[in-house]
Amino acid sequence: MDLIIYGLINSVSLVLSSIGFALAYGVSRVPNFAHGSLYVLTGYMTWLFLNQYKMPYIFAILLSLAIAGLVGSILYRYILIRVRGMPISEIIASFGIGMAILEMLRWAGLRGGTYMLPPFIRGSIDVAAVPVDYQRIIILIAGAAVVGFLWVFTHYTKTGLSLRGIAQNERAALTLGIDSDKAATVALGFGSALAGLAGVLMFPLGNITVQSGYEVLIFAIAVSVCGGLGSWGGAILASFLIGFAQIITVTYIASHYHFVVALLTIVIILILKPSGLFGRQKELEERV
Amino acid sequence: MSVKTTDYSLLINNLMLFYENALAINNISLKIEEGKITGVFGANSAGKSSLMHTISGIILDMAKKEKMKGGERITWFGEMLFKGEDIINLPPHKRARLGIVLCPERRQIFSESSVLENLMIGSYLANSSQTKETLDFVFELFPELVKLKNREAGFLSGGEQQMLATGRALMAQPKLLLLDEPLLGLAPSVEQRLSRAIQDINKHTGITIIISEQYARPLFPIIDYGYLLENGGVVMEGTSKELMDNPDVIGAYFGI
Repeated sequence: MDLIIYGLINSVSLVLSSIGFALAYGVSRVPNFAHGSLYVLTGYMTWLFLNQYKMPYIFAILLSLAIAGLVGSILYRYILIRVRGMPISEIIASFGIGMAILEMLRWAGLRGGTYMLPPFIRGSIDVAAVPVDYQRIIILIAGAAVVGFLWVFTHYTKTGLSLRGIAQNERAALTLGIDSDKAATVALGFGSALAGLAGVLMFPLGNITVQSGYEVLIFAIAVSVCGGLGSWGGAILASFLIGFAQIITVTYIASHYHFVVALLTIVIILILKPSGLFGRQKELEERV
Repeated sequence: MSVKTTDYSLLINNLMLFYENALAINNISLKIEEGKITGVFGANSAGKSSLMHTISGIILDMAKKEKMKGGERITWFGEMLFKGEDIINLPPHKRARLGIVLCPERRQIFSESSVLENLMIGSYLANSSQTKETLDFVFELFPELVKLKNREAGFLSGGEQQMLATGRALMAQPKLLLLDEPLLGLAPSVEQRLSRAIQDINKHTGITIIISEQYARPLFPIIDYGYLLENGGVVMEGTSKELMDNPDVIGAYFGI
């Protein structure tokens, strides 16, 4: 039973930490390798606002998320836009910036131990005789809410629909009056805020560390590659696959293997189905 | 020149376009009359697509991407007046805002979205009453699409995809609709169906239309004026009757 409950929670945390990356990539085709650093940055900023500036918790979180979104948008608008369409340069540029942010935080003194966010609600509750703390329950609810929100957003709002248009065929979208640079800026900002949201939800379970930034990036890549780059449905399914595989490995083999599982998934998927579970080749488009 | 710019939807004066050093459009001047259907005909490499890309502004996006990659240098000269305003350096999404909407070559539909979603993405620039009105019009024009509403667009047949692409362009509330090879690869009966639909669009909405096509025969009956392109230049122009009566045109474009 713990296996199922903790597998579910782990899967949803993976969804939360990777959906921003998948969203931004799906729309702009820019792999935002600064994803993990925004995750940590948001956690750190929330800590800062909460403890240095004595802001109310909720306000500290919202402000940090807004800043994360802004950083993501600026990152695209002024840096990534210049290397757009050159995947290697995009990766190097965004990863470089991500590393700069993370190592700057390390330099600023972000080391394990002292930096912790309090859980939103303290205490725990028994779910089918398994004790689960409220923070993990909140993660479950937030994960479901984010997925639901994204679905409604991308199916029923003008901005959401235009993002999907750009993701599928940029030029066709351009001729319909959709500004692709604006859409990508929105997507990157949105994706970064989602990375931040994952951060503030998950850091109360442990310490804010620089290392977790790199880990989250690897998880996001594993999930996106496994699910098919740019496919949000695939990303969710892949999160569950990897999430449960990790919990099973941790329970039956050893806890430090959970990282290996993510990396191994990338390798296995690339061998079996390089386009990912839901990745598609674009051959249908030119049907005559 | 002493033409009154406001009499025309689009005026192109002395347009030149180069891909690196290759001349794709050689000194073309077009006058597109408001509310009329104008045809642009020519073989492969005559410059039809380049012309459509230059009018829709897609060429700016191509040039930008090429420049970023350090690829081909795309340059253009000339004047392009849309309702009196020079738009030659306006990016495509801003031209769409003015009302110049392209229905691209080989349809370019959003193949992973449903038919209805394609149309809704197309309505990005429309307000809600325009969206509703145009949606009704599109479904009236192409009743086939009604029962395919929730079908994934990539699974549609070629003819249905073309109807969808045309409908999607209409959703963007065009004032000048550009149809780049709308009949490409369609069966003769579907060709006829579509050219009639194009005529209906023009009649019911008064939208100015420019069509480019290789094979002119199915379109001659519906166009008001036509240009024949060869090697990037206009070799002949006239009303559809003038073109049809011309023996050279018959030889070159009717395959007789």
